[in-house]
Amino acid sequence: MATNMEVEYGNPGVMASAGTSGSVSISLHPLVIMNVSEHWTRVRAQEGKPQQVLGALIGKQKGRNIEVMNSFELLFDIIDSDIVVNMDYYNTKEEQFKQVFSTMDFLGWYTTGDEPTESDIKVHKQICRINESPILLKLNPFARHADLPVAVYESVIDLVNGEATMLFVELQYTLATEEAERIGVDHVARVSTSEAGEGSTVAEHLIAQHSAIKMLHSRVQLILEYVKAVQAGEVPKNHDILREAYSLCYRLPVLNTDKFKEDFFDQCNDVCLMAYLGTITKGCNTINQFVNKFNVLYDRQGMGRRIRGLFF
Amino acid sequence: MDAKNALKTWEMSNSVETISTADEIYRYDKKQQQDILTAKPWEKDPHYFKYIKISALALLKMVMHARSGGNLEVMGLLLGKVDGNTMIVMDSFALPVEGTETRVNAQAQAYEYMAAYTESAKLVKRLENAIGWYHSHPGYGCWLSGIDVSTQMLNQQFQEPFVAIVIDPVRTISAGKVNIGAFRTYPKGYKPPDEGPSEYQSIPLNKIEDFGVHCKHYYTLDISYFKSSMDRKLLESLWNKYWVNTLSSSSLLTNADYTTGQIFDLSDKLEQSEAQLGRGGFMLGMETHEKKSEDKLAKATTDGCKTTMEAIHGLMSQVIKDRLFNQIHLPAP
Repeated sequence: MATNMEVEYGNPGVMASAGTSGSVSISLHPLVIMNVSEHWTRVRAQEGKPQQVLGALIGKQKGRNIEVMNSFELLFDIIDSDIVVNMDYYNTKEEQFKQVFSTMDFLGWYTTGDEPTESDIKVHKQICRINESPILLKLNPFARHADLPVAVYESVIDLVNGEATMLFVELQYTLATEEAERIGVDHVARVSTSEAGEGSTVAEHLIAQHSAIKMLHSRVQLILEYVKAVQAGEVPKNHDILREAYSLCYRLPVLNTDKFKEDFFDQCNDVCLMAYLGTITKGCNTINQFVNKFNVLYDRQGMGRRIRGLFF
Repeated sequence: MDAKNALKTWEMSNSVETISTADEIYRYDKKQQQDILTAKPWEKDPHYFKYIKISALALLKMVMHARSGGNLEVMGLLLGKVDGNTMIVMDSFALPVEGTETRVNAQAQAYEYMAAYTESAKLVKRLENAIGWYHSHPGYGCWLSGIDVSTQMLNQQFQEPFVAIVIDPVRTISAGKVNIGAFRTYPKGYKPPDEGPSEYQSIPLNKIEDFGVHCKHYYTLDISYFKSSMDRKLLESLWNKYWVNTLSSSSLLTNADYTTGQIFDLSDKLEQSEAQLGRGGFMLGMETHEKKSEDKLAKATTDGCKTTMEAIHGLMSQVIKDRLFNQIHLPAP
């Protein structure tokens, strides 16, 4: 009786015990997050109320490193309050994406919601038919905290009360860094704040750097406050955190070898050379324009004198 | 401020289900779209569509797709709808075609893929229709080439309403801003009213002829972007993790190839303008020649300045990082 209750309530029966670490490292592209968000918003706008959405994740897997690069929607039917994934639809879509993204493979699936539930396990088992160890990405559209409401899980088979059941293990993920993507995300994030772009590109560039540095500063302040509080005895010492803070301080200065200084100055010189090129070209252009205008003024008079000289 | 907070708390505690007006745009009203399609207001005015709104998702997808093509052109389709004289792009998807100049041939395979894709999309409530196409010009700016113009003219004859978007992933990274343009062609034989000089963009020498011949056959649409409230929340929280990348990226390194190419191009342009200047001095009809050589040198100057500024921006970030992380003087023990 007790075991039945656990399974019904979902949470204890679905997550593996805390402390089980994942076997793969995940690198997530922001595009996937935007995809899921748009899918959810769109369905909500059509249906009038929020609904759970389901989709597939694709990307590249190299050994233990998974890079989730894109996603697409999946069709599912609700049979007896169970979600059944439509495999025909998946096969059609797989053909399509293989044509365009030939280097990407099917990695797992995504859905919306909070903590993983029993129904997620059931869907996960269906997905296992396509890929033996898929990952699950959950986006919580109603999260209240400022952190990214995205969690990634993988499944393990564990012995629970004597029978092999599938459980979820939460995985740590990092955000993939692609320069063009970052610029796109930056642009879209800031587009509502500054409608009329300032004329100065320097200001824009510096503003972006400034925001990043502000974040860095606030994080460093946080650590500093914590260490001060520990020193004052207000907060219990946590050796892990203190150790990490110390190693962080020890890493500064980041790079101070002679070779680095040489390369850095080389780079500075190259850029200064380019600035020189730009400035000289601009100077030439200004002088050229000036000379032309000068010529127009004086030649006109000269032309007039010559013609008058011809006639008189 | 208080009232705002109170409203927010009330909304949260009651999980208010109303869709904010920002998200209304995501609803596809079939009847409204059908009405617009039957009325066809764009047939009478070649300059009917003036604005285009692109969703955050479509923009990101296009940028990522263009970037993944490297130095090859890539191409895809846009899905969306129309609203008055604004075209709205909700989504985009990539097409399986190779980046070669003879893209007109590739249309057949693309059409098959397109039909299959839109059908499966409708099953998952993506009800919008194709509203345009996009392709990338890696490194040489956003404009329509001769082939692009003829393709788009054909599209505007048979698939109205249709828009052409061009995106340059290389310049996006080098300038730190998304380099994108949306265009519609004028029908054949239509003489557009003389519009003021459009924003100058630097075009490499080997493409400048193609650009000049066709630049009067199309006009640009004003681009604006929109995102859902969910997108906004996610983007804000994304920033909490993403700021590291902003600091750590180095545009000087990522763009070394492109910068070298730009300098080569600049030197070619300067040589050309020098030849012009030399000749211009001896003719009597000096004024017209002056204008031309001035133009060439002036344009080369603008190009040079642009490249220089981008390089300086890159150096600025490097110097900032050096100051932040290297110049910490640990007190001597």
